[in-house]
Amino acid sequence: MIELKNVSYTYPHTAHPALDRISLTLPKGRCIMVTGPSGAGKTSLCLAASGILHHEFGGKKEGTVSIGGRGVAEYKSLSDLARNVGVVFDDPEAQMIFTTVEEEILSALEHRGLSADVIEERLAGIIRIAYLDELKDRSPHNLSGGQKQRVALAATLALGNDILILDEPTSELDDHATKRIATILADLKAQGKTLLLVEHKYGYFRDMVDTLVVMENGTITASGVPDEVLKDSRLRGMILPDFSTVAKAAPVKSDAAPVVTVSHLSYSYGDVEALHDLILTIRKGEFVAVVGENGSGKTTLVKHFNRLLSPTSGDVVVNGKNTKNCSIAELARDVGLVFQNPDHMFFADSVRDEIAFGLKNLGIENGSTAIDAALSEAGLSGSADLYPRWLSRGERQRLAIACVVAMQPGVIVLDEPTTGLDGYEARLVIDMLRRLQEKGHTIIVITHNREIATHCADRVITMENGRIVADTRGA
Amino acid sequence: MAEILQYVHKDGFLHRLHPYTKIAFVIAVSLMCIIATDLTFLTLMVVAMLAFAAYGGLLGEVLQQLKLILVMSVVFIVITLLTMPGGDVLGYLIPTAVPLIGGSLPITVGGLNIGLVLTLRFMILIFAFQLFLISTQPRDLVHAMEKVGMPIDYILMFIIALRFIPTLQIEGQRIHEAQLARGYNPGTGFTGKIRSVAPIVIPLVSNALIRSNVLGLTIDMRGYRTGQKTHVRERVLVTRDYAVMAVLAVAGVGFIALLLAQMV
Repeated sequence: MIELKNVSYTYPHTAHPALDRISLTLPKGRCIMVTGPSGAGKTSLCLAASGILHHEFGGKKEGTVSIGGRGVAEYKSLSDLARNVGVVFDDPEAQMIFTTVEEEILSALEHRGLSADVIEERLAGIIRIAYLDELKDRSPHNLSGGQKQRVALAATLALGNDILILDEPTSELDDHATKRIATILADLKAQGKTLLLVEHKYGYFRDMVDTLVVMENGTITASGVPDEVLKDSRLRGMILPDFSTVAKAAPVKSDAAPVVTVSHLSYSYGDVEALHDLILTIRKGEFVAVVGENGSGKTTLVKHFNRLLSPTSGDVVVNGKNTKNCSIAELARDVGLVFQNPDHMFFADSVRDEIAFGLKNLGIENGSTAIDAALSEAGLSGSADLYPRWLSRGERQRLAIACVVAMQPGVIVLDEPTTGLDGYEARLVIDMLRRLQEKGHTIIVITHNREIATHCADRVITMENGRIVADTRGA
Repeated sequence: MAEILQYVHKDGFLHRLHPYTKIAFVIAVSLMCIIATDLTFLTLMVVAMLAFAAYGGLLGEVLQQLKLILVMSVVFIVITLLTMPGGDVLGYLIPTAVPLIGGSLPITVGGLNIGLVLTLRFMILIFAFQLFLISTQPRDLVHAMEKVGMPIDYILMFIIALRFIPTLQIEGQRIHEAQLARGYNPGTGFTGKIRSVAPIVIPLVSNALIRSNVLGLTIDMRGYRTGQKTHVRERVLVTRDYAVMAVLAVAGVGFIALLLAQMV
């Protein structure tokens, strides 16, 4: 159905090819999963395989791509391609154009030259397949990331194409939402759809993947039946990361100084109670993982540690100071908070300037030693002069951490630091956090990844509906 | 978070009107409130807008704008008091008891009148546009605008501009929090304020540009620009619409009569 022969591609104004002599055949009714580190060319492969690259992008192109037996050049336009292949991109927000879920799907159905009756029938079918019945009348900003991604998938299904290309459809999603997407895709494959899936989370899709392809530096370094590919221990570490080898620190003594003390903390967004009467003490040097479903209150809790939120009732004490009496800027010296999406912070012209921003804010003079230390900690010493947004996702994540580390807060809080990273990149982040713990920092990580929680943290706090339902210390 | 100008899914009177009817409503109301200068008439129009909103079950949404309107009205009135004085003096912005400068900046009937007229006009325009936008599904708007021959690209541009207001709001909030956590403090003084905008605006714009790329490809890959289209659940003009348009026509004629009698 899709065939790439010797495809090379170099983006305009860049020296290195994003795709380097790629050959790949995706037969009808099969599922190929493409994985590999960020920046390996996976998105470029999606663009090439869907014909978008040929029609929309400049740059240097070589080789041939054919879809459904026709070369991509024979298709007149993207609209023509859209009749044969459906593409779901990684940013669900950008794929919702209308203001309700049903409207989004209906609008996509209207462009297929179908009769009104058939459209209504298909609409009902797609809503059922994507589990969107209860969400039909919701608007985009009232949907979670997983729900939005299901809408984007549903609107693409509305086109009725047999070939689907999905670029990291689950990258921002939690365990539950990822399973939902995996179930939907397995159903689609069973219906005979042909799937090209770019993903990091092989574990969720192992039953449906026929061929596993690994991309690195723009080339395919392995391709074959998943079990064969996974025999290579290096590739296995990338695809199915094993965090059990992370060396844990010696347990923190129960009389270590408390750094964050939460007493009877409740917080409400308007009428909705997000946190209910929490009691929690985190001690110096601990590595704490906070786990729980989306909406269980994890992020709301940690935002109290540096006073981005103030308690509706109760108190939060950080290093002996009640946060009620401190400003956010003062608390930035005690608590560093790294949010999920690193791109929400980068604005400087170079990696070095980006890190310097936090130091300047704290009035720290002669910050260059701290900057150098943070750069080397993050493995970015060679990238100090680059533009932050040019870095790969994994590097940007480590830069975000470095920005906070340079400010030398005792407590470092990270919201989903391994989102969108492959096994090795995630491991680099975790190892970095472990080293920081060794140096005496207290680490608090919000994560969906149970593996990371159990293997890397000394203590796992589980939240549900704004309450702490479990607080366990590892052996 | 208040969702500015976003479609609200309900099944009220306004929602059931055809987009054409609502466009006619917005045009008629806008023309009337811009031409009229009579305070009583404009006040009655505001009351009529609110009554209309309440009838359509959208009063709560419309009243959300009250804070913005209040701020704007104070600004309007102060500006007109300062720049367009005329008529009797009612008092002074700086009380006469204050030494030296007391008794300057008079509050005049003329200035106050113009300020109030501007405020009321502003209110009516905002209410009318808002009622139209929050009660019309974008796809109905697309259908209606396509019918009158507007190019699809322009229609999509208009819809996307509205659709992404809350997205940018939420994104801006997240960026703000991320920078606060790095000790960012908004600068003081004029140059400080300008300079402190960069850490918020640069990520916001960069992310929006990346997003617009995906958005553009999505529009193409869903075939929205092909032009060929089956219209399902299409709105047609029904008795309700003709009734509203008749009311608008009568109001228009009445308004012209009042205008000729120099009563508005």
